Amino acid sequence: MSVPSATLKPRSAAHHAAGWLAWRLLPATPFVLVLLLWMIGWYIFQPIPSTLPSVAAVIEAIWERAVSGELWTHIAASLSRLFVGAAVGIVTGIVFGFIAGLYRNVSEFLNPLVIFFNAISGIVWLPLMISWLGIGHALAIFVIWNTVFFIVFQNTVLGVQLVPQVFEQGIQSLGGGRWETIRSVTFPGALPYVLTGIRSGLGFGWRALIAAELVGAPEGLGQMIFAAAEFHRSDVIIAGCLIIGVIAIAMDRWLLAPIEQRTIQRWGLVIDTAKES
Amino acid sequence: MSTGAASVGVSPRLQRPEPALAALRRMFGGFKILLPFAVLIAIWWIIQAVGNFPPNVLVSPAAVWRAFVYLVTHGVMAEYASTSLWMIGIATVLSMLIGVPIGFAVGVNRYAAHALEGFLRFLQGISGIAWLPLAIIWFGFSHTTTLIVVMYTLIVPIIFNTMIGVRAIPENYALALRSLGASRLRLVKDVYLPGAMPSIVVGMRLGMGYGWRALIAAEMLVRKGGLGDLIFGARTFGQIDRIIVGMIMIGCLYIIVDRLIVQPIENLTVARWGMLRK
Repeated sequence: MSVPSATLKPRSAAHHAAGWLAWRLLPATPFVLVLLLWMIGWYIFQPIPSTLPSVAAVIEAIWERAVSGELWTHIAASLSRLFVGAAVGIVTGIVFGFIAGLYRNVSEFLNPLVIFFNAISGIVWLPLMISWLGIGHALAIFVIWNTVFFIVFQNTVLGVQLVPQVFEQGIQSLGGGRWETIRSVTFPGALPYVLTGIRSGLGFGWRALIAAELVGAPEGLGQMIFAAAEFHRSDVIIAGCLIIGVIAIAMDRWLLAPIEQRTIQRWGLVIDTAKES
Repeated sequence: MSTGAASVGVSPRLQRPEPALAALRRMFGGFKILLPFAVLIAIWWIIQAVGNFPPNVLVSPAAVWRAFVYLVTHGVMAEYASTSLWMIGIATVLSMLIGVPIGFAVGVNRYAAHALEGFLRFLQGISGIAWLPLAIIWFGFSHTTTLIVVMYTLIVPIIFNTMIGVRAIPENYALALRSLGASRLRLVKDVYLPGAMPSIVVGMRLGMGYGWRALIAAEMLVRKGGLGDLIFGARTFGQIDRIIVGMIMIGCLYIIVDRLIVQPIENLTVARWGMLRK
Protein backbone atom coordinates (compact mmCIF):
# COMPACT_ATOMS: atom_id res chain seq x y z
CA MET A 1 0.00 0.00 0.00
CA SER A 2 1.76 3.12 -1.15
CA VAL A 3 0.85 6.74 -0.83
CA PRO A 4 0.18 8.39 -4.17
CA SER A 5 2.62 11.20 -4.60
CA ALA A 6 1.28 14.70 -4.54
CA THR A 7 4.03 15.90 -6.79
CA LEU A 8 4.86 14.58 -10.21
CA LYS A 9 8.55 14.20 -9.41
CA PRO A 10 9.69 10.60 -9.29
CA ARG A 11 10.44 9.61 -5.73
CA SER A 12 13.50 7.94 -4.39
CA ALA A 13 13.17 4.52 -2.80
CA ALA A 14 14.01 5.90 0.62
CA HIS A 15 11.36 8.55 0.28
CA HIS A 16 8.88 5.89 -0.71
CA ALA A 17 9.76 3.73 2.27
CA ALA A 18 9.32 6.69 4.59
CA GLY A 19 5.88 7.32 3.16
CA TRP A 20 4.98 3.68 3.62
CA LEU A 21 6.16 3.76 7.21
CA ALA A 22 4.20 6.94 7.91
CA TRP A 23 1.10 5.31 6.44
CA ARG A 24 1.57 2.27 8.64
CA LEU A 25 2.14 4.39 11.74
CA LEU A 26 -0.81 6.68 11.08
CA PRO A 27 -3.37 4.50 12.96
CA ALA A 28 -1.28 4.91 16.11
CA THR A 29 -1.69 8.69 16.16
CA PRO A 30 -5.17 8.84 17.77
CA PHE A 31 -3.96 6.59 20.58
CA VAL A 32 -0.87 8.72 21.14
CA LEU A 33 -2.96 11.89 20.95
CA VAL A 34 -5.47 10.68 23.54
CA LEU A 35 -2.64 9.54 25.78
CA LEU A 36 -0.91 12.91 25.51
CA LEU A 37 -4.12 14.85 26.16
CA TRP A 38 -4.82 12.68 29.17
CA MET A 39 -1.33 13.19 30.57
CA ILE A 40 -1.28 16.94 29.95
CA GLY A 41 -4.84 17.39 31.18
CA TRP A 42 -4.08 15.42 34.30
CA TYR A 43 -0.92 17.44 34.94
CA ILE A 44 -2.74 20.78 34.59
CA PHE A 45 -5.96 20.04 36.45
CA GLN A 46 -4.63 17.51 38.96
CA PRO A 47 -8.05 15.87 39.47
CA ILE A 48 -8.64 13.58 42.42
CA PRO A 49 -7.65 10.01 41.49
CA SER A 50 -11.18 8.68 41.76
CA THR A 51 -12.31 11.10 39.03
CA LEU A 52 -9.43 10.61 36.67
CA PRO A 53 -6.34 8.62 37.53
CA SER A 54 -2.97 9.38 36.01
CA VAL A 55 -1.61 7.24 33.19
CA ALA A 56 1.00 5.92 35.59
CA ALA A 57 -1.68 4.86 38.07
CA VAL A 58 -3.48 2.86 35.39
CA ILE A 59 -0.29 1.15 34.29
CA GLU A 60 0.50 0.42 37.92
CA ALA A 61 -3.00 -1.02 38.44
CA ILE A 62 -2.47 -3.38 35.52
CA TRP A 63 1.04 -4.30 36.65
CA GLU A 64 0.01 -4.96 40.25
CA ARG A 65 -2.79 -7.27 39.19
CA ALA A 66 -0.67 -9.00 36.59
CA VAL A 67 2.05 -9.77 39.14
CA SER A 68 -0.37 -10.97 41.80
CA GLY A 69 -2.06 -13.18 39.24
CA GLU A 70 -5.47 -11.68 39.92
CA LEU A 71 -5.69 -10.27 36.42
CA TRP A 72 -5.05 -13.65 34.80
CA THR A 73 -7.79 -15.24 36.92
CA HIS A 74 -10.26 -12.65 35.65
CA ILE A 75 -9.14 -12.95 32.03
CA ALA A 76 -9.20 -16.74 32.19
CA ALA A 77 -12.68 -16.71 33.73
CA SER A 78 -14.03 -14.36 31.05
CA LEU A 79 -12.36 -16.14 28.15
CA SER A 80 -13.37 -19.62 29.28
CA ARG A 81 -16.98 -18.48 29.56
CA LEU A 82 -16.77 -16.91 26.15
CA PHE A 83 -15.37 -20.07 24.59
CA VAL A 84 -17.87 -22.44 26.20
CA GLY A 85 -20.83 -20.17 25.47
CA ALA A 86 -19.68 -19.41 21.95
CA ALA A 87 -18.89 -23.06 21.17
CA VAL A 88 -22.37 -24.14 22.19
CA GLY A 89 -23.85 -21.17 20.32
CA ILE A 90 -21.90 -21.90 17.16
CA VAL A 91 -22.72 -25.62 17.10
CA THR A 92 -26.43 -25.14 17.80
CA GLY A 93 -26.57 -22.16 15.44
CA ILE A 94 -25.04 -24.13 12.57
CA VAL A 95 -27.13 -27.25 13.13
CA PHE A 96 -30.44 -25.42 13.42
CA GLY A 97 -29.39 -22.99 10.71
CA PHE A 98 -28.83 -25.86 8.30
CA ILE A 99 -32.16 -27.45 9.14
CA ALA A 100 -34.00 -24.15 8.70
CA GLY A 101 -32.01 -23.31 5.58
CA LEU A 102 -32.71 -26.62 3.88
CA TYR A 103 -36.41 -26.73 4.65
CA ARG A 104 -38.16 -23.57 3.63
CA ASN A 105 -41.29 -24.46 5.64
CA VAL A 106 -39.26 -24.62 8.81
CA SER A 107 -37.54 -21.29 8.20
CA GLU A 108 -40.82 -19.59 7.31
CA PHE A 109 -42.43 -20.91 10.45
CA LEU A 110 -39.52 -19.97 12.67
CA ASN A 111 -38.87 -16.55 11.17
CA PRO A 112 -41.24 -14.51 13.37
CA LEU A 113 -39.88 -16.24 16.46
CA VAL A 114 -36.31 -15.58 15.39
CA ILE A 115 -37.05 -11.90 14.81
CA PHE A 116 -38.64 -11.58 18.22
CA PHE A 117 -36.07 -13.56 20.20
CA ASN A 118 -33.25 -11.87 18.36
CA ALA A 119 -34.64 -8.55 19.56
CA ILE A 120 -34.35 -9.71 23.17
CA SER A 121 -31.22 -11.83 22.81
CA GLY A 122 -28.48 -11.56 25.37
CA ILE A 123 -28.63 -9.32 28.38
CA VAL A 124 -32.42 -8.88 28.37
CA TRP A 125 -32.56 -12.44 29.73
CA LEU A 126 -30.40 -11.58 32.72
CA PRO A 127 -33.12 -10.99 35.35
CA LEU A 128 -35.06 -14.12 34.41
CA MET A 129 -31.92 -16.25 34.20
CA ILE A 130 -30.61 -14.99 37.54
CA SER A 131 -33.84 -16.31 39.02
CA TRP A 132 -33.43 -19.64 37.27
CA LEU A 133 -29.69 -20.27 37.23
CA GLY A 134 -28.41 -18.05 40.02
CA ILE A 135 -25.26 -16.00 39.73
CA GLY A 136 -22.25 -17.71 38.22
CA HIS A 137 -20.84 -19.53 35.22
CA ALA A 138 -24.13 -20.89 33.90
CA LEU A 139 -25.64 -17.41 33.75
CA ALA A 140 -22.81 -15.91 31.70
CA ILE A 141 -22.65 -18.93 29.43
CA PHE A 142 -26.38 -18.76 28.77
CA VAL A 143 -26.17 -15.08 27.85
CA ILE A 144 -23.29 -15.69 25.45
CA TRP A 145 -24.98 -18.71 23.91
CA ASN A 146 -28.14 -16.69 23.41
CA THR A 147 -26.26 -13.84 21.74
CA VAL A 148 -24.06 -15.98 19.51
CA PHE A 149 -26.77 -18.46 18.54
CA PHE A 150 -29.07 -16.00 16.75
CA ILE A 151 -26.30 -14.37 14.76
CA VAL A 152 -24.79 -17.68 13.64
CA PHE A 153 -28.24 -19.11 12.99
CA GLN A 154 -29.37 -16.25 10.78
CA ASN A 155 -26.14 -16.19 8.81
CA THR A 156 -26.19 -19.95 8.32
CA VAL A 157 -29.78 -19.88 7.06
CA LEU A 158 -28.87 -17.11 4.64
CA GLY A 159 -25.74 -18.92 3.50
CA VAL A 160 -27.56 -22.20 2.89
CA GLN A 161 -30.39 -20.50 1.05
CA LEU A 162 -28.01 -18.55 -1.16
CA VAL A 163 -26.12 -21.59 -2.48
CA PRO A 164 -27.09 -21.63 -6.16
CA GLN A 165 -29.41 -24.51 -6.90
CA VAL A 166 -27.49 -25.29 -10.07
CA PHE A 167 -24.62 -26.65 -8.01
CA GLU A 168 -26.89 -28.86 -5.96
CA GLN A 169 -28.60 -30.09 -9.09
CA GLY A 170 -25.21 -30.74 -10.60
CA ILE A 171 -24.28 -33.11 -7.81
CA GLN A 172 -27.70 -34.73 -7.89
CA SER A 173 -27.57 -35.30 -11.63
CA LEU A 174 -24.24 -37.05 -11.09
CA GLY A 175 -26.03 -39.42 -8.75
CA GLY A 176 -25.18 -37.80 -5.42
CA GLY A 177 -27.63 -38.36 -2.61
CA ARG A 178 -28.97 -35.74 -0.24
CA TRP A 179 -26.16 -36.21 2.24
CA GLU A 180 -23.53 -36.06 -0.51
CA THR A 181 -25.07 -32.81 -1.79
CA ILE A 182 -24.97 -31.21 1.64
CA ARG A 183 -21.42 -32.34 2.28
CA SER A 184 -19.88 -31.30 -1.01
CA VAL A 185 -21.96 -28.28 -2.07
CA THR A 186 -24.20 -26.80 0.59
CA PHE A 187 -21.72 -26.89 3.42
CA PRO A 188 -18.76 -25.33 1.62
CA GLY A 189 -21.09 -22.87 -0.08
CA ALA A 190 -22.55 -21.69 3.19
CA LEU A 191 -19.26 -21.72 5.07
CA PRO A 192 -18.19 -18.13 4.34
CA TYR A 193 -21.51 -16.86 5.70
CA VAL A 194 -21.26 -19.11 8.71
CA LEU A 195 -17.80 -17.75 9.46
CA THR A 196 -18.97 -14.16 9.09
CA GLY A 197 -21.71 -15.03 11.55
CA ILE A 198 -19.22 -16.56 13.97
CA ARG A 199 -16.98 -13.52 13.73
CA SER A 200 -19.64 -10.95 14.49
CA GLY A 201 -21.28 -13.34 16.95
CA LEU A 202 -18.11 -13.50 19.02
CA GLY A 203 -17.85 -9.71 18.96
CA PHE A 204 -21.39 -9.43 20.30
CA GLY A 205 -20.83 -12.29 22.70
CA TRP A 206 -17.84 -10.54 24.24
CA ARG A 207 -19.88 -7.40 24.87
CA ALA A 208 -22.79 -9.35 26.30
CA LEU A 209 -20.38 -11.26 28.54
CA ILE A 210 -18.97 -8.07 30.04
CA ALA A 211 -22.50 -6.83 30.69
CA ALA A 212 -23.48 -10.16 32.26
CA GLU A 213 -20.40 -10.14 34.47
CA LEU A 214 -21.20 -6.63 35.63
CA VAL A 215 -24.54 -7.81 36.91
CA GLY A 216 -23.61 -11.15 38.34
CA ALA A 217 -20.45 -13.21 38.39
CA PRO A 218 -17.98 -14.17 41.10
CA GLU A 219 -14.99 -13.24 38.90
CA GLY A 220 -14.18 -12.04 35.39
CA LEU A 221 -13.21 -8.76 33.81
CA GLY A 222 -16.70 -7.28 34.04
CA GLN A 223 -16.82 -8.11 37.72
CA MET A 224 -13.36 -6.64 38.21
CA ILE A 225 -14.42 -3.22 36.94
CA PHE A 226 -17.78 -3.34 38.69
CA ALA A 227 -16.20 -4.18 42.04
CA ALA A 228 -13.67 -1.40 41.47
CA ALA A 229 -16.51 1.12 41.08
CA GLU A 230 -17.61 0.45 44.64
CA PHE A 231 -14.24 1.63 45.93
CA HIS A 232 -14.04 4.46 43.40
CA ARG A 233 -10.95 2.90 41.89
CA SER A 234 -11.06 4.61 38.49
CA ASP A 235 -7.58 3.35 37.67
CA VAL A 236 -8.74 -0.25 37.85
CA ILE A 237 -11.85 0.53 35.78
CA ILE A 238 -9.88 2.20 33.02
CA ALA A 239 -7.29 -0.57 33.10
CA GLY A 240 -10.08 -3.13 32.79
CA CYS A 241 -11.71 -1.29 29.89
CA LEU A 242 -8.40 -1.12 28.02
CA ILE A 243 -7.81 -4.83 28.54
CA ILE A 244 -11.34 -5.62 27.36
CA GLY A 245 -10.72 -3.60 24.20
CA VAL A 246 -7.32 -5.16 23.54
CA ILE A 247 -8.71 -8.69 23.90
CA ALA A 248 -11.61 -7.89 21.57
CA ILE A 249 -9.29 -6.47 18.93
CA ALA A 250 -6.71 -9.25 19.27
CA MET A 251 -9.38 -11.94 18.99
CA ASP A 252 -10.88 -10.38 15.90
CA ARG A 253 -7.65 -9.54 14.13
CA TRP A 254 -5.51 -12.59 14.84
CA LEU A 255 -8.06 -15.33 15.21
CA LEU A 256 -11.30 -14.64 13.38
CA ALA A 257 -10.32 -12.38 10.51
CA PRO A 258 -7.60 -14.76 9.22
CA ILE A 259 -9.95 -17.75 9.37
CA GLU A 260 -12.61 -15.85 7.49
CA GLN A 261 -10.11 -14.52 4.99
CA ARG A 262 -8.79 -17.96 4.25
CA THR A 263 -12.20 -19.47 3.59
CA ILE A 264 -13.20 -16.59 1.40
CA GLN A 265 -10.04 -16.98 -0.59
CA ARG A 266 -10.61 -20.67 -0.88
CA TRP A 267 -14.29 -20.62 -1.75
CA GLY A 268 -14.51 -17.38 -3.59
CA LEU A 269 -16.38 -14.19 -3.12
CA VAL A 270 -18.78 -13.53 -0.33
CA ILE A 271 -21.03 -10.63 0.42
CA ASP A 272 -20.73 -9.34 3.92
CA THR A 273 -24.05 -10.22 5.47
CA ALA A 274 -23.42 -9.18 9.01
CA LYS A 275 -23.12 -5.55 7.92
CA GLU A 276 -20.29 -5.41 10.39
CA SER A 277 -18.93 -1.97 10.86
CA MET B 1 -47.25 -6.63 11.81
CA SER B 2 -48.97 -5.14 8.76
CA THR B 3 -52.12 -4.51 10.74
CA GLY B 4 -50.08 -2.59 13.28
CA ALA B 5 -48.56 -0.51 10.52
CA ALA B 6 -51.96 0.61 9.32
CA SER B 7 -53.01 1.93 12.69
CA VAL B 8 -49.70 3.64 13.39
CA GLY B 9 -49.82 5.06 9.90
CA VAL B 10 -46.15 5.28 9.06
CA SER B 11 -46.47 4.43 5.43
CA PRO B 12 -49.24 6.08 3.43
CA ARG B 13 -49.27 3.08 1.12
CA LEU B 14 -50.68 0.90 3.88
CA GLN B 15 -53.46 3.30 4.66
CA ARG B 16 -55.05 3.08 1.28
CA PRO B 17 -58.45 1.31 1.46
CA GLU B 18 -58.10 -2.14 0.03
CA PRO B 19 -60.54 -4.58 -1.51
CA ALA B 20 -61.91 -7.22 0.82
CA LEU B 21 -59.86 -10.00 -0.71
CA ALA B 22 -56.57 -8.29 -0.03
CA ALA B 23 -57.68 -7.52 3.51
CA LEU B 24 -58.51 -11.18 4.02
CA ARG B 25 -55.14 -12.23 2.69
CA ARG B 26 -53.50 -9.76 5.02
CA MET B 27 -55.39 -11.19 7.95
CA PHE B 28 -54.18 -14.62 6.99
CA GLY B 29 -50.65 -13.23 6.71
CA GLY B 30 -50.98 -11.85 10.21
CA PHE B 31 -52.17 -15.22 11.40
CA LYS B 32 -49.13 -16.87 9.88
CA ILE B 33 -46.92 -14.54 11.86
CA LEU B 34 -48.84 -15.23 15.06
CA LEU B 35 -49.04 -19.00 14.66
CA PRO B 36 -45.47 -19.75 15.87
CA PHE B 37 -46.11 -17.62 18.94
CA ALA B 38 -49.35 -19.46 19.62
CA VAL B 39 -47.44 -22.75 19.47
CA LEU B 40 -44.77 -21.40 21.79
CA ILE B 41 -47.31 -20.14 24.30
CA ALA B 42 -49.11 -23.49 24.20
CA ILE B 43 -45.84 -25.31 24.95
CA TRP B 44 -45.08 -22.88 27.76
CA TRP B 45 -48.55 -23.39 29.20
CA ILE B 46 -48.22 -27.18 29.10
CA ILE B 47 -44.78 -27.09 30.75
CA GLN B 48 -46.13 -24.82 33.45
CA ALA B 49 -49.20 -26.95 34.04
CA VAL B 50 -47.29 -30.26 34.09
CA GLY B 51 -44.32 -29.02 36.15
CA ASN B 52 -46.51 -27.11 38.58
CA PHE B 53 -43.72 -24.65 39.30
CA PRO B 54 -43.91 -22.15 42.16
CA PRO B 55 -44.69 -18.60 40.99
CA ASN B 56 -41.15 -17.36 41.62
CA VAL B 57 -39.82 -19.85 39.07
CA LEU B 58 -42.35 -19.95 36.26
CA VAL B 59 -45.81 -18.48 35.83
CA SER B 60 -48.52 -19.26 33.31
CA PRO B 61 -49.15 -17.10 30.25
CA ALA B 62 -52.43 -16.04 31.90
CA ALA B 63 -50.54 -14.67 34.90
CA VAL B 64 -48.25 -12.75 32.57
CA TRP B 65 -51.29 -11.32 30.81
CA ARG B 66 -52.76 -10.26 34.17
CA ALA B 67 -49.48 -8.61 35.13
CA PHE B 68 -49.45 -6.84 31.78
CA VAL B 69 -53.00 -5.55 32.26
CA TYR B 70 -52.15 -4.45 35.79
CA LEU B 71 -49.01 -2.60 34.72
CA VAL B 72 -50.80 -0.91 31.83
CA THR B 73 -53.95 0.12 33.68
CA HIS B 74 -51.97 1.52 36.60
CA GLY B 75 -49.80 3.57 34.28
CA VAL B 76 -46.62 1.84 35.42
CA MET B 77 -45.81 0.46 32.01
CA ALA B 78 -46.28 3.83 30.30
CA GLU B 79 -43.92 5.39 32.81
CA TYR B 80 -41.12 2.83 32.35
CA ALA B 81 -41.54 2.41 28.60
CA SER B 82 -41.63 6.13 27.91
CA THR B 83 -38.44 6.62 29.92
CA SER B 84 -36.65 4.05 27.76
CA LEU B 85 -38.04 5.35 24.47
CA TRP B 86 -37.25 8.92 25.43
CA MET B 87 -33.68 7.96 26.29
CA ILE B 88 -33.02 6.10 23.05
CA GLY B 89 -34.60 8.98 21.10
CA ILE B 90 -32.45 11.66 22.70
CA ALA B 91 -29.34 9.51 22.46
CA THR B 92 -29.96 8.87 18.76
CA VAL B 93 -30.54 12.53 17.92
CA LEU B 94 -27.50 13.72 19.89
CA SER B 95 -25.29 10.98 18.48
CA MET B 96 -26.34 11.84 14.94
CA LEU B 97 -25.66 15.53 15.56
CA ILE B 98 -22.17 14.77 16.84
CA GLY B 99 -21.29 11.65 14.88
CA VAL B 100 -22.28 12.62 11.35
CA PRO B 101 -20.14 15.79 11.19
CA ILE B 102 -17.19 13.89 12.66
CA GLY B 103 -17.70 11.10 10.15
CA PHE B 104 -17.74 13.66 7.34
CA ALA B 105 -14.66 15.49 8.54
CA VAL B 106 -12.78 12.22 8.77
CA GLY B 107 -14.24 10.67 5.63
CA VAL B 108 -13.25 13.39 3.16
CA ASN B 109 -9.60 12.97 4.08
CA ARG B 110 -8.07 9.58 3.37
CA TYR B 111 -5.25 10.10 5.86
CA ALA B 112 -7.66 11.02 8.64
CA ALA B 113 -9.86 8.04 7.76
CA HIS B 114 -6.91 5.68 7.85
CA ALA B 115 -5.69 7.16 11.12
CA LEU B 116 -9.01 6.90 12.89
CA GLU B 117 -10.18 3.49 11.70
CA GLY B 118 -8.15 1.44 14.15
CA PHE B 119 -9.02 3.73 17.01
CA LEU B 120 -12.73 3.44 16.30
CA ARG B 121 -12.44 -0.34 16.11
CA PHE B 122 -10.72 -0.33 19.47
CA LEU B 123 -13.47 1.82 20.98
CA GLN B 124 -16.05 -0.52 19.53
CA GLY B 125 -14.27 -3.43 21.17
CA ILE B 126 -14.85 -1.83 24.57
CA SER B 127 -18.60 -1.98 24.85
CA GLY B 128 -20.33 1.08 26.23
CA ILE B 129 -21.47 -0.93 29.20
CA ALA B 130 -17.85 -1.49 30.26
CA TRP B 131 -17.57 2.27 30.79
CA LEU B 132 -20.64 2.23 33.02
CA PRO B 133 -18.74 1.90 36.31
CA LEU B 134 -16.62 4.92 35.42
CA ALA B 135 -19.68 6.87 34.28
CA ILE B 136 -21.33 6.05 37.62
CA ILE B 137 -18.34 7.49 39.48
CA TRP B 138 -18.47 10.63 37.34
CA PHE B 139 -22.19 11.28 37.10
CA GLY B 140 -23.70 9.17 39.88
CA PHE B 141 -26.74 6.93 39.45
CA SER B 142 -28.47 9.32 37.08
CA HIS B 143 -29.99 9.59 33.62
CA THR B 144 -26.81 11.33 32.49
CA THR B 145 -24.85 8.15 33.16
CA THR B 146 -27.26 6.08 31.10
CA LEU B 147 -27.29 8.65 28.31
CA ILE B 148 -23.49 8.80 28.13
CA VAL B 149 -23.21 5.02 27.89
CA VAL B 150 -25.91 4.75 25.22
CA MET B 151 -24.45 7.61 23.21
CA TYR B 152 -20.99 6.05 23.34
CA THR B 153 -22.48 2.85 21.93
CA LEU B 154 -24.45 4.68 19.25
CA ILE B 155 -21.87 7.15 18.10
CA VAL B 156 -19.15 4.73 16.99
CA PRO B 157 -21.21 2.94 14.32
CA ILE B 158 -22.60 6.29 13.15
CA ILE B 159 -19.13 7.82 12.71
CA PHE B 160 -17.90 4.63 11.12
CA ASN B 161 -20.68 4.29 8.59
CA THR B 162 -20.70 7.99 7.74
CA MET B 163 -17.00 7.68 7.09
CA ILE B 164 -17.46 4.58 4.94
CA GLY B 165 -20.33 6.25 3.08
CA VAL B 166 -18.27 9.31 2.26
CA ARG B 167 -15.29 7.20 1.20
CA ALA B 168 -17.44 5.05 -1.06
CA ILE B 169 -18.55 7.98 -3.20
CA PRO B 170 -16.74 7.84 -6.55
CA GLU B 171 -14.19 10.62 -6.60
CA ASN B 172 -15.25 11.61 -10.10
CA TYR B 173 -18.52 13.04 -8.82
CA ALA B 174 -16.70 15.39 -6.50
CA LEU B 175 -14.10 16.21 -9.13
CA ALA B 176 -16.78 16.96 -11.71
CA LEU B 177 -18.46 19.47 -9.44
CA ARG B 178 -15.19 20.98 -8.39
CA SER B 179 -14.05 21.45 -11.95
CA LEU B 180 -17.24 23.39 -12.52
CA GLY B 181 -16.20 25.69 -9.71
CA ALA B 182 -18.35 24.40 -6.87
CA SER B 183 -17.49 25.48 -3.35
CA ARG B 184 -16.72 23.04 -0.57
CA LEU B 185 -20.14 23.62 0.97
CA ARG B 186 -21.81 22.90 -2.34
CA LEU B 187 -19.76 19.72 -2.62
CA VAL B 188 -20.99 18.54 0.76
CA LYS B 189 -24.59 19.46 -0.02
CA ASP B 190 -24.77 17.97 -3.50
CA VAL B 191 -22.32 15.10 -3.48
CA TYR B 192 -21.21 13.92 -0.07
CA LEU B 193 -24.46 14.21 1.86
CA PRO B 194 -26.74 12.48 -0.65
CA GLY B 195 -24.05 9.95 -1.48
CA ALA B 196 -23.36 9.03 2.11
CA MET B 197 -27.00 9.15 3.25
CA PRO B 198 -27.85 5.44 2.83
CA SER B 199 -24.72 4.48 4.74
CA ILE B 200 -25.47 7.02 7.48
CA VAL B 201 -28.95 5.57 7.94
CA VAL B 202 -27.50 2.06 8.11
CA GLY B 203 -25.12 3.31 10.78
CA MET B 204 -27.99 4.84 12.69
CA ARG B 205 -29.99 1.65 12.51
CA LEU B 206 -27.08 -0.49 13.66
CA GLY B 207 -26.29 2.00 16.38
CA MET B 208 -29.85 1.98 17.62
CA GLY B 209 -29.75 -1.80 17.80
CA TYR B 210 -26.58 -1.72 19.92
CA GLY B 211 -27.81 1.32 21.82
CA TRP B 212 -31.13 -0.24 22.80
CA ARG B 213 -29.34 -3.19 24.33
CA ALA B 214 -26.83 -0.97 26.11
CA LEU B 215 -29.74 1.12 27.38
CA ILE B 216 -31.48 -1.88 28.91
CA ALA B 217 -28.23 -3.06 30.52
CA ALA B 218 -27.45 0.41 31.86
CA GLU B 219 -30.98 0.78 33.24
CA MET B 220 -30.58 -2.51 35.09
CA LEU B 221 -27.54 -1.17 36.92
CA VAL B 222 -28.46 2.50 37.29
CA ARG B 223 -31.99 1.73 38.52
CA LYS B 224 -33.52 5.08 37.68
CA GLY B 225 -36.51 4.07 35.60
CA GLY B 226 -36.80 2.43 32.20
CA LEU B 227 -37.67 -1.11 31.14
CA GLY B 228 -34.30 -2.48 32.29
CA ASP B 229 -35.08 -1.18 35.76
CA LEU B 230 -38.56 -2.70 35.56
CA ILE B 231 -37.34 -6.23 34.90
CA PHE B 232 -34.35 -6.04 37.20
CA GLY B 233 -36.42 -4.57 39.99
CA ALA B 234 -39.03 -7.30 39.53
CA ARG B 235 -36.28 -9.91 39.99
CA THR B 236 -35.55 -8.65 43.50
CA PHE B 237 -39.11 -9.52 44.47
CA GLY B 238 -39.20 -12.72 42.46
CA GLN B 239 -41.97 -11.37 40.22
CA ILE B 240 -41.41 -13.60 37.21
CA ASP B 241 -44.63 -12.37 35.61
CA ARG B 242 -43.37 -8.80 35.54
CA ILE B 243 -39.97 -9.87 34.21
CA ILE B 244 -41.59 -11.69 31.30
CA VAL B 245 -43.94 -8.77 30.59
CA GLY B 246 -40.94 -6.46 30.55
CA MET B 247 -38.97 -8.72 28.23
CA ILE B 248 -41.86 -8.96 25.77
CA MET B 249 -42.21 -5.19 25.92
CA ILE B 250 -38.50 -4.68 25.24
CA GLY B 251 -38.65 -6.99 22.23
CA CYS B 252 -41.85 -5.49 20.83
CA LEU B 253 -40.74 -1.89 21.24
CA TYR B 254 -37.44 -2.62 19.54
CA ILE B 255 -39.16 -4.35 16.63
CA ILE B 256 -41.70 -1.53 16.33
CA VAL B 257 -39.06 1.20 16.36
CA ASP B 258 -36.79 -0.72 14.01
CA ARG B 259 -39.35 -1.95 11.51
CA LEU B 260 -41.89 0.85 11.54
CA ILE B 261 -39.67 3.90 11.93
CA VAL B 262 -36.06 3.21 11.09
CA GLN B 263 -36.48 0.74 8.24
CA PRO B 264 -38.90 2.98 6.29
CA ILE B 265 -36.36 5.80 6.59
CA GLU B 266 -33.71 3.45 5.28
CA ASN B 267 -35.91 2.34 2.39
CA LEU B 268 -36.72 5.95 1.64
CA THR B 269 -33.09 6.97 1.37
CA VAL B 270 -32.26 3.91 -0.67
CA ALA B 271 -35.17 4.50 -3.00
CA ARG B 272 -34.34 8.16 -3.31
CA TRP B 273 -30.62 7.89 -3.77
CA GLY B 274 -30.54 4.28 -4.80
CA MET B 275 -27.01 3.37 -3.99
CA LEU B 276 -27.15 0.91 -1.15
CA ARG B 277 -25.67 -2.47 -1.87
CA LYS B 278 -28.05 -5.10 -0.68
